Amino acid sequence: MSIRTRLSLLLTGILLLVVVGSVSAQDVTLNVVGFVVPLEEQGTPLDEAYKAFIADFEAAHPGVKINALETPPEFDTQLLVDLAAGTAPDIWNQDASTLSRLIDGGYVLDMNECVALVPEFNLDRFFPSVLSIHQREPGGPIYGVPNDFTPMVIYYNTLAFERAGVEPPQPGWTWEEFVDIAKRVTLDANGNNATSPDFDPNNVVQWGFRVRKWTFEWIYRVWQNGSDVISPDGTTASGYLDSPESIEAITWLRDLVVKERVAPPQDMLAQMVQEVGFLTRFLRGDFAMFDRGHWELVGLRANEEYEPGRFSIVGQPQNAERATVLYASGFVIRADIPEEKKLAACQFVEAATDRGYQDTKVLTGIAISANQEAAAEAIDKSADPVIEQAFYDEVAYGRAPYGSVYAKWPTIEQRLDTMMEAILAGGDINAEVALAVEEINRELSR
Amino acid sequence: MTSVTAARVFSAPGLWRRFWSRSNERIGYLFILPSLIHIITFMFIPLIFSFFLSFRDWTRPAFTDAPYIGLKNYEFLMGDRRFWQAMGNSVYYTALSVPLGMAFSLVIALVMNQKLRGVYFFRTLFFMPVVSSWVAVSIIWLTLLDPSVGIVNYVLGWFGISPINWLGDPRSAMPSIVLIAIWKSAGFNMVIWLAGLQAIPHELYEAAAIDGANRWQSFRFLTLPLLAPTSFFLAVTGVIGALQVFTPVYVLTRGGPLDSTNTAVYHIYRRAFQEFDFGYASAQSWVLFAVILVATLIQLYYVRRRSREEIQY
Repeated sequence: MSIRTRLSLLLTGILLLVVVGSVSAQDVTLNVVGFVVPLEEQGTPLDEAYKAFIADFEAAHPGVKINALETPPEFDTQLLVDLAAGTAPDIWNQDASTLSRLIDGGYVLDMNECVALVPEFNLDRFFPSVLSIHQREPGGPIYGVPNDFTPMVIYYNTLAFERAGVEPPQPGWTWEEFVDIAKRVTLDANGNNATSPDFDPNNVVQWGFRVRKWTFEWIYRVWQNGSDVISPDGTTASGYLDSPESIEAITWLRDLVVKERVAPPQDMLAQMVQEVGFLTRFLRGDFAMFDRGHWELVGLRANEEYEPGRFSIVGQPQNAERATVLYASGFVIRADIPEEKKLAACQFVEAATDRGYQDTKVLTGIAISANQEAAAEAIDKSADPVIEQAFYDEVAYGRAPYGSVYAKWPTIEQRLDTMMEAILAGGDINAEVALAVEEINRELSR
Repeated sequence: MTSVTAARVFSAPGLWRRFWSRSNERIGYLFILPSLIHIITFMFIPLIFSFFLSFRDWTRPAFTDAPYIGLKNYEFLMGDRRFWQAMGNSVYYTALSVPLGMAFSLVIALVMNQKLRGVYFFRTLFFMPVVSSWVAVSIIWLTLLDPSVGIVNYVLGWFGISPINWLGDPRSAMPSIVLIAIWKSAGFNMVIWLAGLQAIPHELYEAAAIDGANRWQSFRFLTLPLLAPTSFFLAVTGVIGALQVFTPVYVLTRGGPLDSTNTAVYHIYRRAFQEFDFGYASAQSWVLFAVILVATLIQLYYVRRRSREEIQY
């Protein structure tokens, strides 16, 4: 072999290496949080679904590798640290309850960019009310797209209702009907209900309802009474939290404990659930009703006391308005994602919100798919289509969680929790509300 | 030949000493280097950083999004009722846990200072909670204090005392945490008291006995005054530690019920890591530091004044 031939071969080899190198340089790895189950859930159908989805996506998009990361504990804090350090994942599943501060900080990509990049990314697939959680105004930027969600509904125990001889509540029921039903299903040891003059409130064996301090479990009571806790522009609580309608809603809730005696006092409740977990107590019929989202289905069905048909759900009762809150999570892409990764990231989010993956939501039972078609089809596939349909019907009355609207919501929520705790412990409603308004206004004025 | 020369060189006492002392010095520095790096990286730099942060509105991840706001965080803090309430809770915890903890551990130390059979075993036993993790200890106490199935209420039931909701009642939650803290720190305090007790010359007790002093008088007029430096050390370190109580609150009560156990450090933690208000939380940390500093200086002043009075006397 002549020197010239050898030289030609060498040059060809170098050229090949350069070509191969440039091709592999186009490969991208996306760091994604939200598609790995914890160690104890490995091998479950959800685990299989995640793995199948990622494998399918990688097969359909050669050159894109998905580095699926497990959601770390205290993810919100971890994410802040990662964003500050520039080591945040490219895509993650973000709880809408803490979305606002990420939007305000400009850390989330406007998904309109993805819609422009990926032609098949059609936003009509989403429930409009759930998609709007990711928007500040209609037609404006879209900060992430919804993955799944749940409205807060009322769970009721059919056995407890049977024992009390009361018909289960129907959608569209009112506050008045709620109190009446709660009283009739609250039974003492002698079988007297809370409407009876012989009812012994110190010897209750079946409670009508559960009331707790947590704002996420009562904020929609204020909405149901046509009021709110802060102004729409998020600048003041005056005239909102302390409005007569809000005070009336808070009083109504407090009275379920102290006046109507259909819900146990806080210390008694704490003691009861320390002895036996709340879900077990509910399934046994110690509680007839409670507020919760779709995720509770998982715990209830896994409980040893569970029997099919033991419980069902109904939409929230209404007063001035019919309202509930939608707790949601969505896929977001970091705003500073490198240009070479953007297309792949958009394709991934498009695929993750499309039917294939979203149809696996029914496997988890944790939430409703934000994809309307997937959610509608999941009703018939679910373990209890009646329950699933009731959740589906309640979506129309759902409002965005305030953590997706106001960046200071975590602070406001803490104040509201404390306020309600004091009220449920016997504090004066007007005084506690006035104190909360003062403190919230101070925080909002900073 | 070379070894002979070397021997001569090193046999020169000054040179050898100098070499040896310098190499020792270097080795010493090498030994402390890892700790030094650790302290600088994880304590000193964050400390300075938090000071600068306290003058900024840092509620978002990137520091570039933290505008300088001067003293506004401190101004806001002055009127922050919840912060001062949390500070009050910390002071309440300190006022209960430090003196009671010192007294309890002194009693143990006095017993452990006796020549008793198995005393070393008991010393080890009392010291065990000190080396246990606060989280593990708190979880154990959570079970013990359970209002329904806890052993504490069970034992009280023998004496006809109705169950107490130890951690669920605003009146008993903080005293319960204090109780746990006293138990947890008793071993450490005991060791320090023991060191103090064993440093007291036995002849003094013999002399006191010859003068007719009984055991109580010996304790009151000999032991206690001579333990003053030990008590000062325990009081200062106890106050500094107690004002920063966090773990038992985090594990046992999360600041509740009704904020009755919401201590300053737990409040700061919530503000920083649950409400993501790092600038304001930093300002709160520095105010807490100032409070601890003032408390320590007051104690120092009191002890120095007392020492001067004793010398004059």
